[in-house]
Amino acid sequence: MGATPLVEMIDIEKHFGGIRAVDHVSIDLFPGEVVGLLGHNGAGKSCLMKMLAGAMTPNGGEIRVDGKPVAFGEPNDARAKGIETIFQTLALADHLDAPANLFLGRELTTRFGNLDEAAMMDAARDVLSRLNPNFKNLRDPVSSLSGGQRQVIAIGRAIYFDTKILIMDEPTAALGPSETAMVADLIRQLREEGIGIFLVSHDMHDVFDLCDRVVVMNKGRVVGSNRIDEVTKDDVLSLIIKGELPMDWQPRNLEVTR
Amino acid sequence: MADIGKPAAFDGIGRVRFGAGSLQRLSALLTLFALVIGFGLASSAFLSVNNGLTILLQTSVIGILGIGMTMVIITGGIDLSVGSVLALAGVISGFAVKAGLPVFPAMTLGMLAGAACGLFNGFVITRMRIPPFVATLGMMLIARGLALQLTGATPVSGLGRSFGMLGNGALFRVVEMQQSGFPRVIFPGIPYPAILLAVVAVLIAYILRRRRIGRHIYATGSNEEAARLSGVRTDHTKLYAYTMSGALAGIAGNVLMSRLVTAQPSEGVMYELDAIAAAVIGGASLSGGVGGVGGTLIGAFIIGILRNGLNMSGVSAFIQQIVIGFVVIGAVWIDQIRNRPS
Repeated sequence: MGATPLVEMIDIEKHFGGIRAVDHVSIDLFPGEVVGLLGHNGAGKSCLMKMLAGAMTPNGGEIRVDGKPVAFGEPNDARAKGIETIFQTLALADHLDAPANLFLGRELTTRFGNLDEAAMMDAARDVLSRLNPNFKNLRDPVSSLSGGQRQVIAIGRAIYFDTKILIMDEPTAALGPSETAMVADLIRQLREEGIGIFLVSHDMHDVFDLCDRVVVMNKGRVVGSNRIDEVTKDDVLSLIIKGELPMDWQPRNLEVTR
Repeated sequence: MADIGKPAAFDGIGRVRFGAGSLQRLSALLTLFALVIGFGLASSAFLSVNNGLTILLQTSVIGILGIGMTMVIITGGIDLSVGSVLALAGVISGFAVKAGLPVFPAMTLGMLAGAACGLFNGFVITRMRIPPFVATLGMMLIARGLALQLTGATPVSGLGRSFGMLGNGALFRVVEMQQSGFPRVIFPGIPYPAILLAVVAVLIAYILRRRRIGRHIYATGSNEEAARLSGVRTDHTKLYAYTMSGALAGIAGNVLMSRLVTAQPSEGVMYELDAIAAAVIGGASLSGGVGGVGGTLIGAFIIGILRNGLNMSGVSAFIQQIVIGFVVIGAVWIDQIRNRPS
């Protein structure tokens, strides 16, 4: 791919006290590409993604969006560049209802600066019913909703706005089979639209099903970055667990053509 | 304009956003009615117009403090300094009048002093990461100490009739001169403090329900990390809530000192507890995210009516404290039941 990457994270560092959570990591993402980010718990995936989302500031390194260096002081800075995130924790305010959560931090207002509840409700009904046609109880506080519905709100929030880069941190963790399939369809659809997606996941099946590339992290470092057709599930497991590919590894796709 | 005139949407918001506290608010409202009926049966004077207006007057200070407290409690915090800030603000208003300022700018200065104390609270909490309980406990001592030091612990008196207007005046007061030459009060009028309370209540309810900052106050208290990740500036939001609480404490200080026509540096001790009690009785949750102006008003009136009714029934001030103590525990107990996973 000769085009400019949507995102380049170059030589990113993050440490907490003496612990290096992210250790000189470089990673990139192209338009219409889904990159799977894998690794143990605590390998630094979420931390790396939080820095891209503006929720955490790196100690070193550079982030470029569309080739231009950026600095994110807070999540809204990243959002302004079209970077949306579905956090693992979903980041929902439990006492508020679905529209309030969908627009949290960027509420629609009338020209007098009042909250435009009607417009937010219409938009919420729109986007949420597209993701889940059975989503009707929009006025209930989200604490009373099911895990799937909560996830749908978090996803809806990330795709409603003018999204160019989508970070999905374990987007299917709380979902049943049909909802997981819906998320997979959604990812394919967004990829068609040219959106770049980072998919943080533990689900090997999802990763091989959806991703164009896998990046594996181990102890804060990138230990593998491969096109999906170059590796098998066993290879990726080896990267995750041992931090390296099997001894006699060769790109699998070459093997086949040979 | 269409947004304002949509009753359906507005009703829905009211029902949903405060749905979690509605059970408690209902029980609080029932308690309020039971109190009125009970005290009414016990004493015929209780249900008179005069006494009703007295209750309005007595409750306005706690009501204004409680509304500011509610904003802070919804963010998941607490403001223990309002009683002391009230005294400091009143003292500063008093000094400003003594220095020759007209009453209105002088009282504005007092209110701004209160706001400054609140801003300091917010600064300590958000920048220095000190828990609200400790930060405002510190301000409680600082503001009280300042008020006492500035005045040498003596009341500032001789403030003139106009200083007493806010606290003692009333709207629509009808007085008739009798033939004997003594005035007869036909209608005592609506006390200015009660009108001020109503204005404050409407304004803050509007901010909490209809403005972005209000939405952010609820979100911050509901889940601070989620709010931050969603792009809410939680620090600004908290700073705003504490500053408003301080400013409202300043207004309450003006009302109270004006009623006494003296700036008393030792006034308002333990008022923060009444304010917290009003908010909690009215359905605000100390764990944040829940509460509202309407509930707090009900809570303030429950306390006010309890005090007034027990007074009229000749119950000693000490017994009153015991009763109100039990009411607060009962209210928090209901809060606990509500938050228990069902």
